This record gives sequence, C-alpha cells and structure tokens, in this order.
Amino acid sequence: MKRPKTFINRVLHRHETYLTLIIILFSVVTANVAPAFLTAGNILSLLRGGAGLGLLSLAFFVALISGGIDISFPAIAISAQYITVRTMLAIDVNSLVFAFVLASAIGIVYGLINAFLITRFKLPALIVTLGTSNLYHGGLLQFLGTESVNVGGLPTAFSDFGRMSLFQISTEQGTLGISLFFVIFVIAIVLTWFILRHTMLGRGIYAIGGDEEAARRAGFNVSRIQYFIYAYVGFLSAIMGIIHVSMIQYANPTNIVGTILLRVIAAVILGGTSISGGRGTVTGTLLGFVLIVLIDRHLIMLGVPAEWTDFFVGIVIVLGVLATHIRLRLERKRLGELVVERAH
Amino acid sequence: MTTKRANNVTLLIVLVTVVAVMTAAMPDQFLRLGNLQNMMRNLPEYALLAFGIMIAMTIGGIDLSGVSVLSLSGVVAAMILSHHQEIPLPTVVTMILAILAALGTAALCGLINGLIISLASVPAIIATLGTNGLYYGLAIGITKGSHLGGFPLAYIRIANNDFLGIPIPFWVFIAVALLLGLLLDKTALGFQMKMLGASPVVARFSGTKNRAVLLKSFVIISLLAGASAVLLTSKVATMRPNYGQDYLLLAVLLSILGGTNPDGGFSSVLGVFLAILALQVLATGSTFLGFTPFFRNFLYGLLLLVVMVIHHYRDTGAWTILKESVFTRTEKSG
Amino acid sequence: MAEALLEVRNISKAYIGVQALDDFSITICEGEVHCLVGENGSGKSTLIKSISGAVQPDAGEIVIDGTSYGTSITAIDAIRQGIEVIYQDLSLFPNLTVAENISLTGFIEEGKRLTNWKRVREIAVQTLSQLEEEIDVELPLDRLSMAQRQIVAISRALTKGARLIIMDEPTTAITAEDVARLFNVVRRLNARGVSMLFVSHKLDEVFQIADTVTVVRDGKKVGDYDAKSLDETELTYLMTGEMLEYKPFEFDPEGEGARSLLEARGLSRENQYEGIDLAIHAGEVVGLTGLVGSGRTELALSLFGMTLPDSGEILFEGTPVKMRGPEDAKRLGISYLPEDRHGQGLFEDQTIADNIVITVVDRMKRFFGIIDNNKRVDTWRSWIEKLKIKTPSALHAVSTLSGGNQQRVVLAKWLAPEPKVFLIDGPTIGVDVLSKARIHDVIQDLARAGMGVLLISDEVSEIMQVCSRALIMRRGRLVAEFRNLRSIDEAEIQAVVAEPDTSEEAS
Repeated sequence: MKRPKTFINRVLHRHETYLTLIIILFSVVTANVAPAFLTAGNILSLLRGGAGLGLLSLAFFVALISGGIDISFPAIAISAQYITVRTMLAIDVNSLVFAFVLASAIGIVYGLINAFLITRFKLPALIVTLGTSNLYHGGLLQFLGTESVNVGGLPTAFSDFGRMSLFQISTEQGTLGISLFFVIFVIAIVLTWFILRHTMLGRGIYAIGGDEEAARRAGFNVSRIQYFIYAYVGFLSAIMGIIHVSMIQYANPTNIVGTILLRVIAAVILGGTSISGGRGTVTGTLLGFVLIVLIDRHLIMLGVPAEWTDFFVGIVIVLGVLATHIRLRLERKRLGELVVERAH
Repeated sequence: MTTKRANNVTLLIVLVTVVAVMTAAMPDQFLRLGNLQNMMRNLPEYALLAFGIMIAMTIGGIDLSGVSVLSLSGVVAAMILSHHQEIPLPTVVTMILAILAALGTAALCGLINGLIISLASVPAIIATLGTNGLYYGLAIGITKGSHLGGFPLAYIRIANNDFLGIPIPFWVFIAVALLLGLLLDKTALGFQMKMLGASPVVARFSGTKNRAVLLKSFVIISLLAGASAVLLTSKVATMRPNYGQDYLLLAVLLSILGGTNPDGGFSSVLGVFLAILALQVLATGSTFLGFTPFFRNFLYGLLLLVVMVIHHYRDTGAWTILKESVFTRTEKSG
Repeated sequence: MAEALLEVRNISKAYIGVQALDDFSITICEGEVHCLVGENGSGKSTLIKSISGAVQPDAGEIVIDGTSYGTSITAIDAIRQGIEVIYQDLSLFPNLTVAENISLTGFIEEGKRLTNWKRVREIAVQTLSQLEEEIDVELPLDRLSMAQRQIVAISRALTKGARLIIMDEPTTAITAEDVARLFNVVRRLNARGVSMLFVSHKLDEVFQIADTVTVVRDGKKVGDYDAKSLDETELTYLMTGEMLEYKPFEFDPEGEGARSLLEARGLSRENQYEGIDLAIHAGEVVGLTGLVGSGRTELALSLFGMTLPDSGEILFEGTPVKMRGPEDAKRLGISYLPEDRHGQGLFEDQTIADNIVITVVDRMKRFFGIIDNNKRVDTWRSWIEKLKIKTPSALHAVSTLSGGNQQRVVLAKWLAPEPKVFLIDGPTIGVDVLSKARIHDVIQDLARAGMGVLLISDEVSEIMQVCSRALIMRRGRLVAEFRNLRSIDEAEIQAVVAEPDTSEEAS
C-alpha cells in the first residue's frame, strides 16, 4: 500500500516539517515569556554566536552522510586555533588572511591523518577519531603548553575581525549589523550544499553512505572521497577555531573540547541525518542546529536556573532523539520490515 | 592457538616486560610497597569502566554514558553521606543506604539507556551520548557544580584500607573480574550477549529475548560505573560532578587492548584484566618520569591507534595464512 | 552462426575440498539469450565470477571478441569489454533516486566532476523508454519493488554500453507477473543486439526465454542445447543426473489417530496473508508453495511467533496460543528454519558448536545461570554426528563450511530443542545435490518419528518428492490443496501456482 504522492503527504511526512513546527512553537512560547527574544539585537547576537556551532554541525553532517563519523573535530578546532595564535605571536604576524590559511592547513592535515587511518587500515571511524582526538588535543597541551592568550596579548586581527559586520545600522543600542561570522557560516552552507548536491564527489559521498561496496563497484574512488570528507571536516573545524577566538577574544587551549560535541551531534541527529549514513539534508541539519541554539541560549530567559541548563538541554536532546527514532521504527514496521532490538 | 589466546599471551608478556623494565629502571620508587598499593587503589576506578565498555562492545554497541553515571551515582551517595550526622540512623546504616542509593541510581540509568535503545531503536552511540549529557546535567544541577564533603570516617576507610596488605578496591576489582568472566564465558546470559553482538537478527530468530538481554546488559554496565563511584567517593572523601572526564578514552583503549572486537560477539575478560594491569604500570611509570596528564592522553591516543593498526595486520594478509598453516594442527576439538 | 562474443575455454576452479568448476567451456554469441542451468551448488556462481573477473580460475582461458585474457581477466577489463554482471543483490543505492542509480556510473566513467541533473534525468528516462518501462525516475530507490529495481539495474548496465548482461538468479525474489515483465525487457534488449546470460535453476522460466541452454552439473558441463529441442523432464534429468524419483510419503490427516499439532484458523495479517486455515498433524509433511509475494514466508513467521497476526487464531495441540516472540514458539515446541540462512540462520563468525547450542543454552542452566558444560558439549557433538556435518573441528567458524554443511548446522540448531512442529523454509537453496537428498531424507524421518513438518519451497518438484500433501498460496490466500501426490502430474500443480490472478476469490 503506497501513500498517494500528494503535496500534503510529502510535506507531512518529512522530518523537516516537524522540526520547523517545533522551532516555531518554541519561538512563540519564548517570545511570550520574554519579549526580549524577538528583538533584532537578540537575533543578530544569536546569528553571531551560533556560527561556530553551525560550522561544526555542517562538518559532522558531511562525515555522517558517508556512513562514517568524526569526533575529533573539537580537538582539531582548538588545535588549529591555538597553534595559529601562538605562531602569529611568535613570528609577529597580524594578518587575518594568514590566520585562516594556517588554521585551514592544520585542520586539513589533521583530517587527512584521520582519513589515512580509517581508509588504509579499514578501522572503525569512531574509535580512530577518539584516538586522534586525544592525540591532537593531548599533543597540543603537552607540546605547546596550557598558557592562555587573552585579549591583551592577541593579535589585533582577531578582535578586528570580531567587530566586522555587514549592513550596519545605527540604533539607540548602538551599531547593529550582521556579523561576518554569520556570513562565513552562510558561505560554508552554500559550499557544502553545492558540493553535496551538484558534484560527483558529493553524490559519491551519499553513495558510499548508501552502500560502500556498491559504490566501489560503480566506479567511485571510495578512498579518495573519504580523504576529502575528513579533510573537509578538519577544514571547517579549523575555520570555526578562528571564529571562536575572534568571538571570545581569548585563546585557551583547554576550550571547546568537552562541551560542544553533544550539541553538534544533537543538532545533526535531530536534523534527521541517519547515523548509519546515506540519508540527511543540509536543510535538516540547519533546522536541527537552529533548534539547539534556540534552546541552549534561551533556557535562562525562560527562567531556568543556570546550573540546570545542561540538564534541560540534555532532556530536550534525549526526547528529540526518542521522537525521531520512534517515528522511524513505526515507519519501518508499517512498511512490513522486521524490526529487531539491537545495540547498533 | 586461537586469536584470543594469542592476544592474552601477548598481553601477559607485555605486562611482565613492563614490570621488569620499571623495576630495573627505578627499583626504589616502583617496588616500594606504598607505590604498589597506590596503583592497586587507583586502578579500579577506571578499570570497572573499562569492563563496562568491554561489555558494551561485546553486545555490538558502545556506552558513552559511563563517566556521567559515575558522577551522578557518586553525587547521590555523597549527598546522603555528607548529611550523615543529621540522619537519625546509625552511621553504618547510612553508609549502606548511600551505597545502595549509588548503585540504585546507576542501575536506573542503565535501565533508561537500555529502554531507549531497545524500545525506541535508538543506536547505542546516540542514546548514550544523549543520556551522558542528561545524567551529567542532573549531577551539575543537584550540586550546582560544587564539592560535597563531610563523609563519615568509616566510609572513607572502605577504599583506603587494606586487607592482607592489598587495598580493598583491588579486591573489588578482582571480584568483579571473576564475576564478569563467569558471566560472559560460562552463563547462558553471557552467551546470549555475545550472540546478540554477533548478529541481533539471528539471535532473535534463535529465540533470544533481545530486549531482556539488552536491558540486563546496560544495567550491568551502569552498575559497574556505580560501583566505581562508591570506590571513588570513599577514596577521595569528596565528590564533584566532573570527575573522570578522561576515563572514556582510557576505557575504550583498555577494552580494545584486551582483545574486544568493537563490532561485537567476542570478548576476553582476562585480556582486559591484563591490559588494565599493564597500563596502570605504564601510567605509574609515566608519572615518575614526570609526564603530564596531557602527555599521557596523547600517548593513550597514540597507543590506541597503534594497537588497532597491529590488529589490522594480524587479521588480514600474510599473518593469517601463516597462522592457519602452522597453528591449525594444534587445535583440539571439544 | 552469429559472432562469438565471449568464449570460456576449459576453465577449472577448486576451493578447499570442492571442485567448483572442472574443465568447463561455454560460448555466448552476439544477440543471443543463453541460459546457464544447474542445481544449486553446481558451479554457476563460480563461472559468473570467473567471467566478470571477481575470481581467478586455476586453469583455462577467457576469450572476448577473439582476444584471450588467460585466467587473469580483471573486473575493469570485463566492464570495458561490455560485460556487465547484475548480482542478486543488484548493487544499487537505496538512498539515491532511480535516475541517479541509472545515470551516475556513466558520469563517473566520463570523468565528470559536476552533476548535470537535467542530463541525469534525461539519460534515465531515455534508457527506461528503450526498455519500454515506465518508472518515476525521481523516486528514491528504496520505494521500488524488487522487480522494478532489477529493471533499474538493467538500465544502468545499458547506459554503460553493455554488450553482454549476466544476471544471477534474477527470478528468485520476484512474482510471476514481474518475471513476465522482466522477460519482455530481456526480449527488447535482445532486439537491440545485447546478449544475455541468465543463470537459473527454474526450468519453466528457462524455456520461456532462452535460445540456448547450457547445463552444468557438479562443476562439469553436461552439454549445450537448443532450448526448443528440450523438455522439462529431459532437462531435469540432465541437471540432476537422475530421473526424478518420488519417494512416496503417505499420511492421512483425517485418519484415525491423526493429531493436530499446529493449527491456524482464519489467520490474517494486513498486506501479508488472509483467512488462512491450515493444520499440521503429527507425522505428516505438509508442503506449502506459491510464488514470491504469495505470503508463504510471512505466514511461517507468524506461526513461529516472529510476527503477530491481526486476526484469527493459532492453536497448539488444540489450545489457542498467543506467541509474543520466537521464544514462546520455541518453548511450545515449534522450530523454524529460516529462508535466509546467512542473515537469519547462522552467526557466520562464531563457532559451529556455538551455532548449534544457541537455541538450547537456556535449558542447560544450573545455579546462577551457569551452563552445564557437559550437556553443552554432548549436544553439539551428537548433532554433528547425527547429521554428518563435515568439519575438521567444531571450533571453527561456521563460515568455513560448504553451503550444504552450513544448512545441516542450521538444521541441528533447530532440532536440538526437540520440537514437535518444524517449519522449514527453503532448506535446499544453495545446497549441493547430495546434501539436498540427505536433507529430504532427514525431513521424512522426522515426520515418521512423530514430528509435524511444514515444508515451504518454491520448487514444486521438491514438494512432490517429500510431502504427503501440498498447499498452494497465491496473493496471501490458500487457493488449493493437493493430496495423493503420487498420482498427480507436476505440471498440474505448476499451473495452479502460476495462474495469473483473476478477480475470483480463493477456493
């Protein structure tokens, strides 16, 4: 029995629709409780502050589509950031372009190392990236030390970058504009979307996620595509690292790692991307990301005490994951598939 | 000789070698009774978590919530213990209550994990990643991030005392290892756990109650974290919610070193046991050499990768053919 | 005489303990439909893999268009020469659209970097229309039926300029109508000069479509024949080397002392089966057959407790039961031998011993749940002996066994709990001739010892050889029952099985 392909049916059964509804619902509730939510200032601040998380979500999403996974991206982000800052200080360079170039190079190299271990030795990506995460981060702290660089010591390129924005307007609260961080994020979105949708490389990524062996037989160069994927993850993570330091004006090598992983994974999974690969959309990932950002930053506005925010975000993630997968399970049962309880 | 036996023998050799090297290099520091006792006292905290990861891998999944279950159980126990003077019960009873509360909390966490995974068909990695944040968030919310202290002396003695010269936590560790070995190799449940990890579909078709096995497994895994919490709170006499962040990597490393197949179906308690001992010796040595915790993490990461690459070469290529021709004849049936 | 496109000369290939191909030769000409016929395990798969470069034969040569590749033809060579193999799993991408599945490989070969969605769609639509097939190319592949996916796989081969398309057992998983549809596509391909090599063990289909038939038995070629000059009996004889001997098995379900073990009354499950009334008695072998899609396996799964029927009753030894899972069925005394040996029946990497005892470990428990090791070892030892499972050690992985021996392990596993009712689904798929006969003997012995056996098979001849009566399912309903199988012509049953569905209700 097939559902009629009407527009309503197609829309109703898409994961993205549910997400959008929940986002709207949440926004309405929050706006009611705290009118400050709907101000331009707040929204622009959200765009600015969320760009980092967004970049990492895109990165993780690409890895997941291919049927792989990469949990070393926080370590890559902070490594790229800290190494770049210390290098710039050491050789007395104050160029933002230099920062981006160096950080990207580091991110790409780290990503290539991940890819090498995963493809050459056919090792499970989860464990490999767990290992490299500690390799990169432990190595960073060991060989470069734990000294933070605060706003006074940072090359001014970063603080300048942090102030840059597009379309500035003057209001009574001061100058408001769309932060350049957000612009970079948008560029990354478009780039990712383009690669995935309009290049053979991108279709290859989806194909590998669908059936790796079939992809090989079909002629896709699976190894090369995987090298690209993990290098891309490293690249986006490195960009995030630079944005991060420009935003908080503080380079502490113990940052990022430890706090952001859950939120990124939650954003991507809630966005409807399957952990086993092959299914997911950029749109979905963005919606998931929006939901996580909204919840993360507005719990306090809704009156949740500071020490309980982690818990509530955790509840939301667990409930969201439950909802997503229960729907999936019911759908599969409806299609007559035999669903068996399992751990993976 | 099967792969499992070969792996265990390798680990034994590694352990003996490492101990020998340590003894030779720094005999005064290493062989000191106090040092040996310290090693034995500290080891169980992460060792129990490593066993938990081993079980999770055996059933074909992974459990990322161990550290936060430890935090939450520890917090629950600590809350009771820090108020032991206000509770109108004999101290011993309060202590027992605290321990039971910790284990109970852990069991409940494991049950929740198991339910999410079996009823909603959420892959274990996502489910436990989510619950990890949840349990941790709960621990933070309860304690507001601060320490808890003021435990009764008797409780502190649990982990800090010795029996026959060996620290009590180490006895716990040995007991747990024996029980788990019994479970996985000799009981019906352990057998079903391995088969579930080998193929959940075939297991179901064979009449295994997948859901029950999953639930029991995750409860056991979390109970291990709970037991670890009891030992930890007793040893350091305080509790704060973000203890043990680095333990996940270590637990995974130990499980892999011990010969556990991350895809499921195969495990060796003895292997993980030996790996734990070997790594503790190495860690102690690294402390004496002045390695920072960061460098240790770096080395653990490196070691994990190296071991996996070695496994790759062991399982494919020339070594397999050689093994088959040389070793097959020595195998007995039955 | 048309040009020889592919010539396989005297190839041999041995695996451990088995000579898969023995001095085998075959010639495929341009524009012909050639069928390779043989029993399960006769060497057909090995031949295909040798031609496509997936496997290296030990001796002989492979010649394409007059150029010899010796024994070392690679997959890329084969593809470049226009030889495409469509395996049973089709190697398609369930998460991509039909259009992508058809067109993308062509883009890869052209070395394109960017996708041109217009072109992707065009190529797909064009190729499908060449085959006179209509499928919405924007649909994700996982929405298509197996038969439609086959069309997609063929289309993909076409876009790569295939001159010879080899299909491995394409009709096993599709319904009768779909077989007809597939064959129409094959004829259209043929009309365009594309040759087809069909591997099959289904005789009636072979006759529908083939120009030439090559028979292989136990790795050796029996001969090449013009399809028109053969008939089924002759072909069966050639394939099996023996005249079909029906071992009569008699049982009267209405006779004195006939005890109903497992009964279904009005059993229905949406989209799977409807209004099923049947009874399996102690001592009988009931056959259940029908085309794929007829609901036979689905029914068996419900009788085994794996799925819950929507309505109706299941009775065990006269008492209504509600099984919530296979564990309940096992407890009652019902065993099920699954159709998919690899995905549902065996833990491939676990030992033979462990595979056998999995069903009964929970019955060997002593205190604390510890397994009684003596009982455990006794159990697998005795079953290895009883079913003559050939292996140097029971502690080897079950994947080291041949197909026939693997099937014996699954059999052992499900006989270990001493069932009263045995539901056997497709027991001889991928099994060599000798093992097949042995399994048939075992089944009849079990019934004689008092078990109630339901044998599900898509080979009518197998049903007739082994069973005392045959039930036919079509589109989820039981439409016919045949008793006194000795006195019935196989063709009669085949006719009922294959009869295209009219709007009349089940009898």
